[in-house]
Amino acid sequence: MKKIEAIIKPFKLDEVKDALNEMGIKGMTISEVKGYGRQKGHKEIYRGAEYIVDFIPKVKIEIIVEASMVEAVVTKIRETANTGKIGDGKIFVLPVEEVIRVRTGETGKEAI
Amino acid sequence: MVVDVELRAKRDALEYLWRQGLSGQALLHKHSQLIDDYLVCLFANCPEAAEGMSLVALGGYGRRELFPYSDIDLLLLHTPEAENRLGAVSEALFYPLWDAGLEVGHGVRTPDACLADARQDFFFQVALLDARHLAGSQPLFTSMRQAFHRELIAGHRREFLQNMMQHRNERHHRYGMHSYQLEPHIKESRGGFRDIQAMIWTSRALFGLQELRDIEEAGLISPQEKEAFAQAWDSLIKIRNQLHYLSGRKNDQLFFEYQVEMAKAFKYSDTRGTLGVERFMQDLYRHLQTVATTTDLFFEHVDETLGSPRANPVEQTIEPGITVRQERLHLTDQALIEKRPYLLMRLFSHAGKTGLEIHHRSRKIVTANLHLVDDKIRHSKRMAKAFFDVLENAKDVLAVLSVMLDTGLLTAYLPEFEQIRALAQHDVYHVFTVDRHLLQTVAELKKLSLSKTPFAGVESPHVLALAALLHDIGKGHHEDHAQRGSTLAAEVGKRLGLTEAETACLSFLVKNHLFLTVTALRRDLEDDAFLRQCAEQIQSPERLTMLYLLSIADAKATGPTAWSEWKGALLLEISLKIAHLLERKDTVLPDKRQGAEWMLDQVRALMGKAAPSDYKILPEEYLLSFPPEEVAHHLRLRAGLKNEKQAITEPTDHTLFWSVLVMAHDSTGLLAKICGTLALHGLNVVSAQIFTWEDGTVVDVLNVRPAAEQTYAEQDWQALGEDLNLAIKNRLGLSHRLVEKFRTAFRGTGQKNVQAAPRVVIDNMASEQFTIIEVFANDRPGLLYDITRTLADFELNIHRARISSDGDQVVDVFYTLDGFATKINNPSFQEEISKALLHVAENETGAGARLQW
Repeated sequence: MKKIEAIIKPFKLDEVKDALNEMGIKGMTISEVKGYGRQKGHKEIYRGAEYIVDFIPKVKIEIIVEASMVEAVVTKIRETANTGKIGDGKIFVLPVEEVIRVRTGETGKEAI
Repeated sequence: MVVDVELRAKRDALEYLWRQGLSGQALLHKHSQLIDDYLVCLFANCPEAAEGMSLVALGGYGRRELFPYSDIDLLLLHTPEAENRLGAVSEALFYPLWDAGLEVGHGVRTPDACLADARQDFFFQVALLDARHLAGSQPLFTSMRQAFHRELIAGHRREFLQNMMQHRNERHHRYGMHSYQLEPHIKESRGGFRDIQAMIWTSRALFGLQELRDIEEAGLISPQEKEAFAQAWDSLIKIRNQLHYLSGRKNDQLFFEYQVEMAKAFKYSDTRGTLGVERFMQDLYRHLQTVATTTDLFFEHVDETLGSPRANPVEQTIEPGITVRQERLHLTDQALIEKRPYLLMRLFSHAGKTGLEIHHRSRKIVTANLHLVDDKIRHSKRMAKAFFDVLENAKDVLAVLSVMLDTGLLTAYLPEFEQIRALAQHDVYHVFTVDRHLLQTVAELKKLSLSKTPFAGVESPHVLALAALLHDIGKGHHEDHAQRGSTLAAEVGKRLGLTEAETACLSFLVKNHLFLTVTALRRDLEDDAFLRQCAEQIQSPERLTMLYLLSIADAKATGPTAWSEWKGALLLEISLKIAHLLERKDTVLPDKRQGAEWMLDQVRALMGKAAPSDYKILPEEYLLSFPPEEVAHHLRLRAGLKNEKQAITEPTDHTLFWSVLVMAHDSTGLLAKICGTLALHGLNVVSAQIFTWEDGTVVDVLNVRPAAEQTYAEQDWQALGEDLNLAIKNRLGLSHRLVEKFRTAFRGTGQKNVQAAPRVVIDNMASEQFTIIEVFANDRPGLLYDITRTLADFELNIHRARISSDGDQVVDVFYTLDGFATKINNPSFQEEISKALLHVAENETGAGARLQW
């Protein structure tokens, strides 16, 4: 089992969600995150006043899938979230030791 | 035990009767009776209880208001001699109740211990007020009751009231949080059962009044109030009964998951546009509000009757019919209210300005006079002025608007509010009912105006505030709420006397209040073509600023999850990008040129034969700033400008502000002379549009407000025109006259606050065409005159100006070019201008006192 974490641009969330749903992935965790990365925050000057946003708003999607699904999911996210511009985001794949469903105590594949 | 089974069966039967339509009150009484019978039977069968003991019902059970799963509060009163038999009696009485699964609150006390405990514990003291004898020794009970009243109540009325009010306030505070707004606690929340009881207890302890009817007869509440209150109470009883049965336990909080089922149980069904559950919650919120308002008024009234007299009994009349007495505002003249119903709104505008509360009796007077707010009053300019005064200037706008809503005045004045009053939205996102959310938004907007955002300084803050108040007015209907709201808002705007342009802006804001937030989240902010579309839709930086501020205020007023720094960053990004597009001329130029030609056609058609030979003298900027009728009007007026040293002055009344059109031949320092003359006539410039035709004709439109309370009709416009002509002929010494005027008029009234240091910013970046000079200064009489005169001394031409004030600070922005019609690029010249302006801004002048416009 693997955990896929994708950090993407907020406006791409709906598209990515739909694409994953189509693949049969219904469950995911989504959070609003702040990116402090190579694509630095920006300083804007408007009407003489300086305004600094020191982070970039991003969305994080977390999904757990069976190892066999990883490639397809990663490809789908990459295709969907890509705009070709800086700041499109990153995808991480992590190993997962165990999954347990709180209500029933099921583990492994059944609990995903 | 046989009795347990019987008790359980009887309680089940009761639930059955409830489902068959037993009334709420009847259920409470039957339930109490059932438990009474059971306890009396148990008591009678216990030989140890025969002497020196008395079984007493307390609290809600004592009042015979026993909800399906409420605690059964019992007191076993005993003489000291009966001490050794207590164990057996408790066992015989309480164990069967526990076995039957009832929640029992029990105490075992001697009369002396009762009094001692009641002295320590206010809750127990209050519980004893409801004490009712169930079984056992009557004399024992009676003597305890008498001692209780003699020692704890009589002579302690003020203390009792203070305790009661303090507990009430603490409880409101505790249960006023967000989660309780979404999922109201119908016992403890504001307007819940505790508030009802607080009023009944207080009446009983203080005045010996037993029931609601007695309270009404004593004149503590009016018959109308009593009627509404009784109805709300009755409905709340039904709701609480149902909630207990639905939860299957003592639960008084209407959790989200129960709301739909509750609505179904009371036969609320979904209709097009509203959910049954939303209408159910709306009714519930209205009942809670009725109880809250009535009990608020009750406690204020009792507190005043009983409370310590306040220090300052002096009465001060603010205006005919409205006075301040003991730091409360009072309506004093019923006949005058009938003659001038706008006094009702003036009361609130004074409340906003002074920060004083409106006396409870005057709040009742407002409610009793709502029938005076008819269609004519809804169109009244004075009414509108007072209303906008509240929106814009109230110190605590949320408090003032809340009272306006609670008294019913807001809904009477804006009938559009009725539909959304107490309307709930069935989701976890919208914490407040729609009406409260709208009031919150106005308050958040006010807070924003005091904080630093890149978008600030709105030209018509009253339009923005009204948009905040109306942005969700279209909810509760199946149509798109923003679309429907914009139509309703336009009607309101017209009725309240906004100009056509302002009404259009209002309607635009309401229609698009979600635009920025939604696009910021859902669209690619690097898509230039899309951003350009946004810019075209929004049209002007002014509108963008308004939309930006409205979006933030709206989100902040929605609930704790609706606003975050994260969303703020996205919103800021899209707004800045659109702003840069709007300020860049080249992106909109083609459309503009077309617009200007279209305008010229319109003007030509209007002018007919009187058309001047050459339209080229009219600059594009100018053509795009006025409707064709006005351009034609200006052209006609120009014919009347006979000589160089002459000005035409023409005022217009826009209700909330006035505008003055000035036409003259261009000359150095003309704007300074205009500003000086306006100041001399007590007029405060809010914003100005300044145009120079190519033939040297100046067309200036200055929006002004009177510095003192005077009406448009009272203003001497003719004298203003004459003085301006004198000034242009250099026959009027403006400088010394201004000093003179403000020395006499304002001596001693100004108090020195801590002031921000004046600042001058010269910016060549923000505009392609102009050098923008911004002056931040502390306001004083004649300041604008001094600044414009200084600019004239440098032979700078002012092409546009925006004058805004934020409390005592003014921010004056001038779009300027130097004498050669180019930007001011020379750094040393820039510095010279800065220094000269700072000198003027820092100078407190000979007037000696500062003026609070």
